[in-house]
Amino acid sequence: MIKITDLEKFYRTEEVETIALNKLSIEVKKGEFVAIMGPSGCGKSTLLNILGMLDDPDGGSYMFNSVEVAHFNERKRADLRKHNIGFVFQSFNLIDELTVFENVELPLIYTGVPSSERVKRVEEVLDKMQIMHRRNHYPQQLSGGQQQRVAIARAVVNKPKLILADEPTGNLDSSNGNEVMELLTDLNEHGTTIIMVTHSEHDARYSHRIIRLLDGQTVMENIMI
Amino acid sequence: MFKNYVIIAFRNIRRNLGYAFLNIFGLTLGIASCLIIFLIVRNELTYDNFSKADRTYRVTLNAIDFNSDVSMAIAPAMRTDFPELEQVSQIWYRHNGLVKVNNKRFNEKEYAFADEHFNGIFNYDWIAGDPKTALSEPNAIVLTESIAKKYFGDKDAMGQLIKLDNNIDAKVTGIIKDVPANSSLPFLFLVSFETIKKDMKNAMSNFWWIGGGFYTYILLPPNYPVQKLQSRIPAFLKKNWNKDAGKDVRLPIQPLKDIHFDQRYINNVVTPTSKDTYYALFGVALLIIITACINFINLATAQAIKRAKEVGVRKVLGAVRSQLIKQFMGETTVLVLTALILGVVIAALFLSKAETWLSIKIGGGQLTEPVVIIWIGCITILVIFAAGLYPAFVQSAFQPVDSLKNKTGKTVRGFSLRKSLVVAQFTISQILIVGTIVVANQMDFFQNQDLGFNKDAVVSLPIPNSAKTEVLKQDLVNNPRVKQISLSSGAPSYNSNYTSFSAPQFGVIKDDVTEVKDIDENYIDMFGLKMLAGQKITKTNIKDTIQHIVVNETLIHKLGITDPEKAVGQHIKMNGQPATIIGVVGDFQSESKHKKRRACALEYRAQNFFMASVRIQSRGMSSTIDHISKSWSALFPDDLFQYEFLDDHIASMYTQEQKVYTAFKFFSCIAILIGCLGLYGLIAFAASQRTKEVGIRKVLGAPIMSIVGLFSKEFVVLIIIAFLIAAPAGYFIMYKWLNNYAYHIDIGAGIFFIAIAASFIIAALTIAYQTIKAAMVNPVKSLRSE
Repeated sequence: MIKITDLEKFYRTEEVETIALNKLSIEVKKGEFVAIMGPSGCGKSTLLNILGMLDDPDGGSYMFNSVEVAHFNERKRADLRKHNIGFVFQSFNLIDELTVFENVELPLIYTGVPSSERVKRVEEVLDKMQIMHRRNHYPQQLSGGQQQRVAIARAVVNKPKLILADEPTGNLDSSNGNEVMELLTDLNEHGTTIIMVTHSEHDARYSHRIIRLLDGQTVMENIMI
Repeated sequence: MFKNYVIIAFRNIRRNLGYAFLNIFGLTLGIASCLIIFLIVRNELTYDNFSKADRTYRVTLNAIDFNSDVSMAIAPAMRTDFPELEQVSQIWYRHNGLVKVNNKRFNEKEYAFADEHFNGIFNYDWIAGDPKTALSEPNAIVLTESIAKKYFGDKDAMGQLIKLDNNIDAKVTGIIKDVPANSSLPFLFLVSFETIKKDMKNAMSNFWWIGGGFYTYILLPPNYPVQKLQSRIPAFLKKNWNKDAGKDVRLPIQPLKDIHFDQRYINNVVTPTSKDTYYALFGVALLIIITACINFINLATAQAIKRAKEVGVRKVLGAVRSQLIKQFMGETTVLVLTALILGVVIAALFLSKAETWLSIKIGGGQLTEPVVIIWIGCITILVIFAAGLYPAFVQSAFQPVDSLKNKTGKTVRGFSLRKSLVVAQFTISQILIVGTIVVANQMDFFQNQDLGFNKDAVVSLPIPNSAKTEVLKQDLVNNPRVKQISLSSGAPSYNSNYTSFSAPQFGVIKDDVTEVKDIDENYIDMFGLKMLAGQKITKTNIKDTIQHIVVNETLIHKLGITDPEKAVGQHIKMNGQPATIIGVVGDFQSESKHKKRRACALEYRAQNFFMASVRIQSRGMSSTIDHISKSWSALFPDDLFQYEFLDDHIASMYTQEQKVYTAFKFFSCIAILIGCLGLYGLIAFAASQRTKEVGIRKVLGAPIMSIVGLFSKEFVVLIIIAFLIAAPAGYFIMYKWLNNYAYHIDIGAGIFFIAIAASFIIAALTIAYQTIKAAMVNPVKSLRSE
């Protein structure tokens, strides 16, 4: 599903050039659950942003479903993204001004799903995440765990083929964290490919495979049994 | 999707009530001001909007001055010589009339004797009566609706009797809707011209008899070039009045639509005004709306940082830039529409008070007229785009990766743009401050400075019956609160009589014009006219063949004499009669300062003493006037007592300027207030953005004043830059405006000093609260919040 080859990313300030990704090559197959680990600044988030088509690579190739997307323009990337990729962030990134229902509905609006269909699908997914009773609440009125469930609901409502999760349990206590991991595992078992950045060895154990990064390069891959 | 935009717009307003309030309040004031100014300007620019206005002209007289009125002999002759004219109508305009209805008496200020052709030119709305015949018989009167109501209440006014000036009995033959407020010929009622025709027999045939107030209107046939008529006028004059009539005199045919704006003309009912003034007011409207838009842009771009996360999330979820631009424009639309609704309500409320505040009558009903609605639509669209587009582009450009990491705060663009916009706002407010001060000074100069006479506490009273002049005088003399009395044809600023003068020995061979004032022996002392040479006017016998006159400086300058002493004893001819100059007075202001002062001759002529001028004690003025009223009314039982303070009369020469001044003052304040709102919002934002910096500085030992200075320093620079732009611009604009007047003030450095000082004070007051608040915060708290 994903194949990156010799991917490069630099960050430049006036005087210093920092290498975030150094000729990185990774392949992720459809239906896999991959965890990416490494110390701060090793390039995990940069990699995730490029995989999510939120950022351009400076060099190398990125094949998504056998299509080269490394040099897509913003509109094409947005189009590909909204139909194929769901995001889960450490800080949830829900829109404070919108209710739970409206937050989850947003991706469907941007993909042009008709209103009646939207209601059905949002309710379906809220039900699955067990936060239906909170549908009219605003994010600030929810606990961290509930907010992350809303974020996951929003990520999956469009039935994406790939979910990118950036430390999804980073802001949660262990029981809420475990719940989130169970949800992701469940999604993966139903066929969704998941790439997750994490600092937590515990969370990483939910995945099929751990890719460890250091200074923008792969240093080790562990296959989980 | 649209619903989503609207929802988020409203929720954003709710969450940021302070900013929303600043934005909506600023836009509301801006839109309301724009709307009101549009209606004021439209009102002025659509004077005399009659259905046949484009074919209607006024026949005027140009010898030395441009006179609005012509001899009564013109209209009948034109009717005969130019049969192709659809209508020729003349009216005799009166500024004062005593109306008796049953036992009630009223002094009315504006009415006219109009002939039966009048209604063929001006399409008033008739409520009762036949426009074709209502004015054709003698002693017929047509009332306006409100006057009919005033005289007869709910009773049918048709056929009722009215006594006018104690000698005309008139029957109501028609009722029309009130004359539009923007008419150059306002009147309360019309009396048929036939009523006075027989008394005017001599005047009707004498070309040189110009009694004042004979306005002559003609209606050209469609597509008839006015130049064709104009070119035939010299032959017309020669044919009817032969000899020299056409040599010294022209009859300019003036379009009806120009009357309100041609300031060359004297004797207009409504003082003409300059179109430039209204274009300037329109300019103020634009400045106000620009200021409001600048506020919006400043506040929105400053706030953009707060919205960065939302933009990031939306982009991650698949939104493209155009969708986000639409979203932000949608939010702007919601704010602007809210402001629009409030603005229209405020404008409607204001218009109900406009007559009191600005002396302009504009019905609130005009707000629903199509052209006004189109204007409202234009303002709305303009504001939505001017205010919303830039912030929408800035905010939608945020990169999701940056905005989700809150990096945008440091890299957000548009700060230099915000600075430029603040400079623009300060420039606008400084220009308006300069303009307002210049107009204020000029108004003061008009009414109080350099008049050449003492106007304080002088009341003018009419003398309806000259037989009782001496009795009235004795009565007034006996009143202990009356300090001085003078009888005359009019106080210094009442000018009405002109005559010709010549002095061949001084080279004035062709007749020139001088004003004539008939005054008594007390006049010069009472009004404090400055004697430059010779003696004052004394009581003289009417039978003296040679008139003794005191003249002003302008007159002797016309004779080529510079030393007043040398003028004393010289002879000139006035209206063909010899007159001897016995004294010279300094020039005084007998007309408005729009025009150059004229030659003036003062003479003693008791039969022309129509007015008593009385200087009263400044204490207990109203009881003094009551007292005078009683003795006056006892002497003239058939008339209604009226009086006018001299300073009110002087002020009335400048009603147009006063109107403009009030409007400028008012709208300048609004523009400045809107600017302050924006500045307040901006500084509040800057303070919240720099919380951490302030905390660190305080930890390192910065005193509160240095923190306040930190925020203020920037604005000082911006104000100075604005001043460098505003000062020359303001000077140029106001210099041009002042040149409309023959006498005007100089624009001194003081005015600019006030403008920049006012800017500093306004800015300091606006930012003081927020900066001091920011500086007072405990650093522990501000650092923890980061």
